[in-house]
Amino acid sequence: MSNADEGYERLSYETRQGFWDLLESPKVIHFVLAIAVLTVIVPIFWEVLTSLKTNEAVYNLTYFPRNPTLSSYYEVLIGESYWRAVVNSVIISTATTIAVIILAVPAGYAFSRYRFRGDNVLFIGVLFSRLFPPIGLIVPYYQIMSWLGLLNSLPGIIIAQVYLWLPLMIYIMRNFFMSIPTDLDESARVDGCTQLQAFRKIALPLALPGVAASAILTFLYSWREFLFSLIVTTDLKSMPISVAVYQFVGDVSVQWASLAAASVIAIVPTILVVVFFQRYIVSGLTAGALKE
Amino acid sequence: MSDSESRPVETPDTKDGTAGANEDINVQIEGVTKVFGDQESDEIVAVEDLNIDIRRGEFLVFVGPSGCGKTTSLRMVAGLETPTEGRIRIEDEDVTGYDPRERGIAMVFQNYALYPHMTVAENMSFPLRIRNYPDDEIETRVTEAADLLEIDDLLDRKPSQLSGGQQQRVALGRAIVREPSVFLMDEPLSNLDAKLRVQMRTELNEIHQRVGKTTIYVTHDQAEAMTLGDRVVVLNDGKLQQIGPPQYLYDNPVNRFVAGFIGEPPMNFLPVSIRKEDDGYTAVGEFFEFGLPTDVERAVDEWDGSLDSLTLGVRPEDLSDLSVLDEDEYTENSTLDAQVKVVEPMGSDKFLTVTSKTDEDTEFSARVAPESSVEPGEPISLSATLDKIHLFDDETGQNITY
Repeated sequence: MSNADEGYERLSYETRQGFWDLLESPKVIHFVLAIAVLTVIVPIFWEVLTSLKTNEAVYNLTYFPRNPTLSSYYEVLIGESYWRAVVNSVIISTATTIAVIILAVPAGYAFSRYRFRGDNVLFIGVLFSRLFPPIGLIVPYYQIMSWLGLLNSLPGIIIAQVYLWLPLMIYIMRNFFMSIPTDLDESARVDGCTQLQAFRKIALPLALPGVAASAILTFLYSWREFLFSLIVTTDLKSMPISVAVYQFVGDVSVQWASLAAASVIAIVPTILVVVFFQRYIVSGLTAGALKE
Repeated sequence: MSDSESRPVETPDTKDGTAGANEDINVQIEGVTKVFGDQESDEIVAVEDLNIDIRRGEFLVFVGPSGCGKTTSLRMVAGLETPTEGRIRIEDEDVTGYDPRERGIAMVFQNYALYPHMTVAENMSFPLRIRNYPDDEIETRVTEAADLLEIDDLLDRKPSQLSGGQQQRVALGRAIVREPSVFLMDEPLSNLDAKLRVQMRTELNEIHQRVGKTTIYVTHDQAEAMTLGDRVVVLNDGKLQQIGPPQYLYDNPVNRFVAGFIGEPPMNFLPVSIRKEDDGYTAVGEFFEFGLPTDVERAVDEWDGSLDSLTLGVRPEDLSDLSVLDEDEYTENSTLDAQVKVVEPMGSDKFLTVTSKTDEDTEFSARVAPESSVEPGEPISLSATLDKIHLFDDETGQNITY
């Protein structure tokens, strides 16, 4: 091989590496991240700015409010009694979370530990109910709630939320329990535990990060759920905030400032939950952090 | 040939592992069979008609290749698996359907199974606390066990802060504090590095002597079985092959499987046929002819199977380098000529890999005196200690000299 060939080979290699080095360089990474963050932030930024205007001032077409005011918040929460929707959302999300965790944790444990006739079919059945597009179930669900007299009621929404999120949480908990060695349960049973005690004293404490993650996700998901809540409720007495926000979109006009204020009110709890609990979400979803 | 068809034969102290009437039996495994399988897959017989009586205070080792049913047998004694057929008795009580916690056993798992969210002290006291022992008794027992295992300075640590050897000790400690009637150990040393394994092996022996409790120990490592066991149970394909003291199994393997499994490096197997001559029998191989000693000749006389397709088994240490032997240490019809392929000096002796002079593929090994000066590629004359050879039937694997 001649020197020229060698030089060409090396140059080519270095050129190629140079391209990848550039892609990995802090400048490029920061640039890409900045675009991603902006994409997420700008709508929220717009929403906060708009919420500081009045419904009339929105049409002044300035980016920043000329006379920043909290009047939209006051109007929405007190004037329109939207505090009720916030309370409803808290009740719905909390009740849903409690119900889902009580059901999903033992179910996930059972699926992770016990082999029984038809266990796989049952598990796929659980997941399948979630693969079904929810919109396809809206009409029967409305019918059922109507028969049960649960339209315009909190239980009518909570049942829907539990139905929606339980399969996913069973799946997450099953995977989390599978990352806990079966040896530990068996050892506990030899040491003197019943099967239920082995679950309560050994497996459950070790699965707490997964339980926390499931609880937080259930809370967030049911907080923001819109479709089922929309068809079950027409009344602010039982309406969650996610649906209530939509009330400002009228047939002929949109009350932009009120809509923005209501949206910010709906988002704030979500942000707080994520800020305070993100560590659990991450650790819970990266199951397998538990080494034998 | 099929090793599994051979039947266990009477050993000097037991028949099929069951004991005489007046012995103090702690654990009885009675005709236990375990079949795994469900509607989709074929049934797998993990353990077949196992009968073993385990004496009080005995260290019994189950050994065999992976999938031979040794762990399943242990788990059935523990109550973690239910036998398909047969009974398990502990302390004269039929515990077959009992939960593990009701059996008076303690178990050490292969991965130690320490509870990660508890400290060492909490781990060790867990079996007592769950049974509502008084605090001062828990304290005493944990301290005693920690002293015995030299882990008293680790009591406040979490398992994740311990080395493998320390975790192993904690797992042992948790078993000891229970003061169970039987210890069960499922390959407890297999996750340790080689040096630590040998060290822990010695310590296990010491601990067993001090605690004096019946121990059932499962391993795939024949060296562990030899060094630890009062008696060794050799399993293959879910069937009991032989049970007896380690040295007895080594000297008197009941079949080819046991002969090949016990001992390191393993026994050499060479195909032979037996020829009757005026002055007795001769074993004729491809490149050697051995005159059989009287004991073996008697066994051949009693054998009613074929004499043409047999396998001669000779352990590496029973092959010596002729050049370092005195005239009176060998006989003419016990020698064979071979070619040295590899020499591995071990200090105390030399491991040779040798081949037949005519056929390079016929490899076997010899363990010769360190004075032997052979080099790879050189021819060598070896002398076999004929008193210690075995003859196996090719069809059943049975040892006809047993």
